Amino acid sequence: MFEYLITNYNYMVVVFLMMMGLWAMIAKKNLVKKCIGLVIFQTGIILFYISMGAKNNSTIPIIDPKYGEAAINYANPLTQILMLTAIVVGVATLGVGLMLVQRIYKEYGSINEDRILEKFK
Amino acid sequence: MILNIISILFFTAILYFSSSPLVFYLLNGLSICLILLGLFFFLGTSIGVIRFPDFYTRMHAAGKGDTLSSILILFGIALFVLNTGTLSIGLVLVCIKILLIINFIFIGSPTATHAIMDAGYGTEVKHWTNDSEGIKKKK
Amino acid sequence: MIWQFDILLLTLVVVCGFVSLWIKDLMGAVIVFGAYSFLMCLVWTGMGAVDVAFTEAAVGAGVSTIFFIATVFHTSRTIRYNKWDLSTKFFSSIICILMGFFLMVAIGDFPAWGDALSPVNNNVAKYYLENSMEETKVPNVVTSVLADYRAFDTMFETGVVFVASLVIFTLLLQSDGRKKLMKSAFQKVSFLNVSESLIIRKACGLMVPFMQLFALYVVVHGHYSPGGGFQGGVILGASLILLSMAYDIKKVFARFHMKFMIKSLAVGVLIFAGIGLICLILGGNFLDYSALSKLFPSMGSIKSRYNAMLWVEVGVALTVMSGMFAIYTSLSSNGKFEEGL
Repeated sequence: MFEYLITNYNYMVVVFLMMMGLWAMIAKKNLVKKCIGLVIFQTGIILFYISMGAKNNSTIPIIDPKYGEAAINYANPLTQILMLTAIVVGVATLGVGLMLVQRIYKEYGSINEDRILEKFK
Repeated sequence: MILNIISILFFTAILYFSSSPLVFYLLNGLSICLILLGLFFFLGTSIGVIRFPDFYTRMHAAGKGDTLSSILILFGIALFVLNTGTLSIGLVLVCIKILLIINFIFIGSPTATHAIMDAGYGTEVKHWTNDSEGIKKKK
Repeated sequence: MIWQFDILLLTLVVVCGFVSLWIKDLMGAVIVFGAYSFLMCLVWTGMGAVDVAFTEAAVGAGVSTIFFIATVFHTSRTIRYNKWDLSTKFFSSIICILMGFFLMVAIGDFPAWGDALSPVNNNVAKYYLENSMEETKVPNVVTSVLADYRAFDTMFETGVVFVASLVIFTLLLQSDGRKKLMKSAFQKVSFLNVSESLIIRKACGLMVPFMQLFALYVVVHGHYSPGGGFQGGVILGASLILLSMAYDIKKVFARFHMKFMIKSLAVGVLIFAGIGLICLILGGNFLDYSALSKLFPSMGSIKSRYNAMLWVEVGVALTVMSGMFAIYTSLSSNGKFEEGL
């Protein structure tokens, strides 16, 4: 049981982060909180990829003659580059989301979801 | 700024000219002492941030202790890096990079504290006085 | 990977995320979220992903916190409570618990954490690690995969940054703001509305040149150390953001016009796609840099791949720098481009 907990702890954290993010996106009424939930969900997915690529007893993926050329000595570079670009794209899309929040506040005078729906009617 | 560069050059010169194991142990002990001192000041900082009564005193604790302890820890790490393996130009380069980080923390951290304090003063955060609520609760 | 350290950090991450969702003051929630990003950065360093950690420290903890603060500054800071809405909370809790339950059941089928022999680590990733040094002479495998093997991917992600910053710039600009923008941003201003403290201005003036120098080092040295176009571009953008926070947005606009910013936003993507097109013209595949050796016969195919990667990184850095700065100016001035935070 303890062994199972250690070897799968990263996936459990991923599931917790995704649950938290999804709950915030559905249940929270404040739009900024929804954005925070969105980013937490995104970090959960990034954590999933990076922890899949981590290896025991390995070093960073920069080839060094000291550690030899065997692939087993270096962490997985592929998942890292996918997530590196995902972070930068994530902040750009987060900017679009926050821009929409500011536009909505300018139009309706509130960032509470129920208040906006009332004014919308 | 110049002082720490001179001191690192001094330690480099010591390592370069003498190869006795005593110097190795001395430098290792010095770096361990510096890192432990830095951790002690970090502990004091965090206790101060939690225990002090109002915004200004908390920022005072955070700004002072944070700067000093990061500088001590980074200096200890620089000495530790200098001491690993044989002395080469690469190790000295890494040391100089760490020293640059120290200089930027020395400039940046007090300025950030000042900016936060200024913002707090501008938005009229209340001062702590003798008859504030914090004292009353304790009595 | 040290699992004890990682487990501690991951637990702290979950606590930080929970607090940032639970806290009532929006500004406090945003600051706690910045701490969450820094913890994530430590987690990734622990798992050997230094490039990702670098990006997260610059982007997640630095720039996205500023974006959040700008939005909170221009909207409201407090959360308005309405009557206890049980049905939505109940419904969303059921959905989240169901999702969590099914994912937890599926956990047992995944490879163990840190297993070097799992399928993820053995097919194409192993090829990159073993052949990157011979084929491109770049020790940092992340850079060579990012800019060479998977350059197609990176090109479109740079394009996403380009499109996102254009969208923010155009949608937030008000109709009367456009005239003011013509006055303020596109022309040189003669007066500066400086009201900040002298200490902050002087310290920022001291820091900004060194920040930009460091950013250029990160871009150029990405072949040998963690770093590259994305990280260097974000640090360059952050130096401009720092300058515009310490002085005024107009001060930065007096140096870099908004026109110049948008041009460099486009030029970055153009450099990336243009190198790909040159490869296509010279008879190789799109973004197959070894074809460039026909243009420069003195360089072999390996050397041309090495050099083309550097130019691609410069293009990415240009786009990301001006993208971050354009997003910051739009969000922090609420589309008016007069004064920032």
